[in-house]
Amino acid sequence: MYKYSEKDKQIVKNRTKEFSLQVKRRIDGYLTEEEFKPLRLMNGLYLQLHAYMLRVAIPYGELSHQQLHKLAEISEKYDKNYGHFTTRQNIQFNWPKLEDVPKILEELANVEMHAIQTSGNCIRNISCDHFAGINKQEVEDPRPWCEIIRKWSTFHPEFSFLPRKFKIAVIASENDRAAMKVHDIGLRLIKKEGETGFEVYVGGGQGRSPFIAKKIKGFLKKKHLLNYLEAILSVYNELGRRDNIYKARIKILINELGEKKLKDLVDERFKKFFEKKLTLGVTELEEIKKSFQLPFDKNIRSEVPKIKNKDFKIWRDQNVLNHKYDGHSIVMVSLKQYGKPPGDASALQMKSLSEIAKKYSYGEIRVTHEQNLVLPHVLNSNLYSVWTDLKKIKLATANIGLITDTICCPGMDYCALATARSIPISQKISQHFKNQLLQKKIGKIKIKISGCINACGHHHVGNIGILGLDKNGEESYQISLGGSADEKTNIGQIVGPSFTEDKLISAIETIIKTYEDNRLNLEDDFISVFNRVGIDKFKQDLYEKNNS
Amino acid sequence: MKKIILNKAKVSKNEYFFIDNDSEIKKSSKIIFFIKFWIENKKTLKKKKHIGVILDSNQSIDLIKDDIELFSLIQFNFITFKDGRPFTEIKKLRKYWKFNGEIRASGHILPDQYVFLNRCGVDSFEIEEGKEKFWIDFFKMDEGLYYQP
Repeated sequence: MYKYSEKDKQIVKNRTKEFSLQVKRRIDGYLTEEEFKPLRLMNGLYLQLHAYMLRVAIPYGELSHQQLHKLAEISEKYDKNYGHFTTRQNIQFNWPKLEDVPKILEELANVEMHAIQTSGNCIRNISCDHFAGINKQEVEDPRPWCEIIRKWSTFHPEFSFLPRKFKIAVIASENDRAAMKVHDIGLRLIKKEGETGFEVYVGGGQGRSPFIAKKIKGFLKKKHLLNYLEAILSVYNELGRRDNIYKARIKILINELGEKKLKDLVDERFKKFFEKKLTLGVTELEEIKKSFQLPFDKNIRSEVPKIKNKDFKIWRDQNVLNHKYDGHSIVMVSLKQYGKPPGDASALQMKSLSEIAKKYSYGEIRVTHEQNLVLPHVLNSNLYSVWTDLKKIKLATANIGLITDTICCPGMDYCALATARSIPISQKISQHFKNQLLQKKIGKIKIKISGCINACGHHHVGNIGILGLDKNGEESYQISLGGSADEKTNIGQIVGPSFTEDKLISAIETIIKTYEDNRLNLEDDFISVFNRVGIDKFKQDLYEKNNS
Repeated sequence: MKKIILNKAKVSKNEYFFIDNDSEIKKSSKIIFFIKFWIENKKTLKKKKHIGVILDSNQSIDLIKDDIELFSLIQFNFITFKDGRPFTEIKKLRKYWKFNGEIRASGHILPDQYVFLNRCGVDSFEIEEGKEKFWIDFFKMDEGLYYQP
């Protein structure tokens, strides 16, 4: 794992000091709320429906056991004994007091963490494949690149007051586990004629106008990455709209200018503004790569213990995946315990998981954009012990990739922007479909729920997307079908009029029934059936059987 | 509210006399004006040695790209501190057009932006008198620790 250098430590320390002064100036009346807002947002501090919310960065979703333990402590000391893992691999605390925030930031700095640029109109935390460095398919480990981009984008003098937020994701294999094409910039490491470089995608995003990112560069030399990113951001900062917050993202700029025009402007600026100092040297790269070495010997061999336990087998089949190196496995830790808010982890769960990671996963934990956690390297012989320990803290729900593994935003339970509740919908789905055999029979499916059009719950890219709306003072839920956030990224199609909360589960049941009736075999998953059968069949069944 | 000029921790008076009328051109050896005034009075203004031009944050530097070398001062006036366009304009001016004169930031700017503006190429700041303490605090806190070259 990456360890802070002295410079990293000092930068975070200085930032904490600076924020304390900003809070003081706000309290003393030298900063208006309008002026304070972007400054606090750049430190991850939001004002929500009932209280402040602090979003802490987990760069590219990687956590040490000490860091997870500290997050648990913070939740106990300054919050309500839990944290909420987000769709951008961060964690949010929902109840901190403004005056405690500088102290929280100090505590975070002690474990090499911060809340810098987790919000605001700047370059946000870089997201990454949660299986980076541990899957066989990747061209190379994308994490060193995330770290290079993290450094370059932190307090960038030119790009800290952008027209709108800016999100970057990096992946390195055909399989997209980071929803790369719904980011402002998506980078995929590829190999071409023996050389590794980047495919560059621009202008993806969700919100009220969802767009899939467009490929503007087929092959970018690795050493030119930062110069090319500067060129894109520079064009965006100058030409991105500032007159309308809903039209300010780069996805709108690329659609207004056209793909070719944007690409030409970027290429022109890349040449004109080329900065030699931003060219990445081999030595520098090798130095960063050292921080991401495997914590064990690749040649270790280990077998899974032969234990006859039905529940262990179910869990292993569903939540355990092959590691890049045979002696180890990847363990998915589901934060979708039946009936609980997706992505939430209690202080006790975080502390215990920190211990499990220390004992069985070389102290490492990953966060997925689907709001689950990962123990990235578990020796096969330890799988049964890990399962036993996870079960004790209710983190062994065997539902990864199944219908109860929903993505969900905080919705009206917390968020000031929400038009409807989303957590209770997720809880209802989870309770309704929790039967293991039933969900296993339904198979691979992704339900994603947002409590408003801003789409933090990724409903546009859910196989089944649910969007909570306010219809004349009553919550109502619009369903879209066929969305996907993987390598075949697709924006879902709205199926028709929305449903009230009491009719929603029945509507989902009907959709599942149409899917099951049209499956060719058990390998045929929801998205394949939908793509083959088309929306009309689903629509017909849905509105024949359910009155909206 | 009286304005002062801040350059690093040094406070001074504005040496540039603001004009918006052609009868005032000879009032001072150093004058400054809005871009519109420049376009309308280019011929006369060109004869002066020390001239400064003010661009609002929503105006492109491209408007003066052919005359850059004529100015001893280019001032970016922020309509709101949230408008980040000048950061790129300043970079263009310094790195691409190699402007060596003084660059100044004015308008709705915050001391919290001091390091960002300075690193992009701003030399001086026009701020309200009495607020210099906050700016100097940020100047002193800047230890030169950055990730970018």
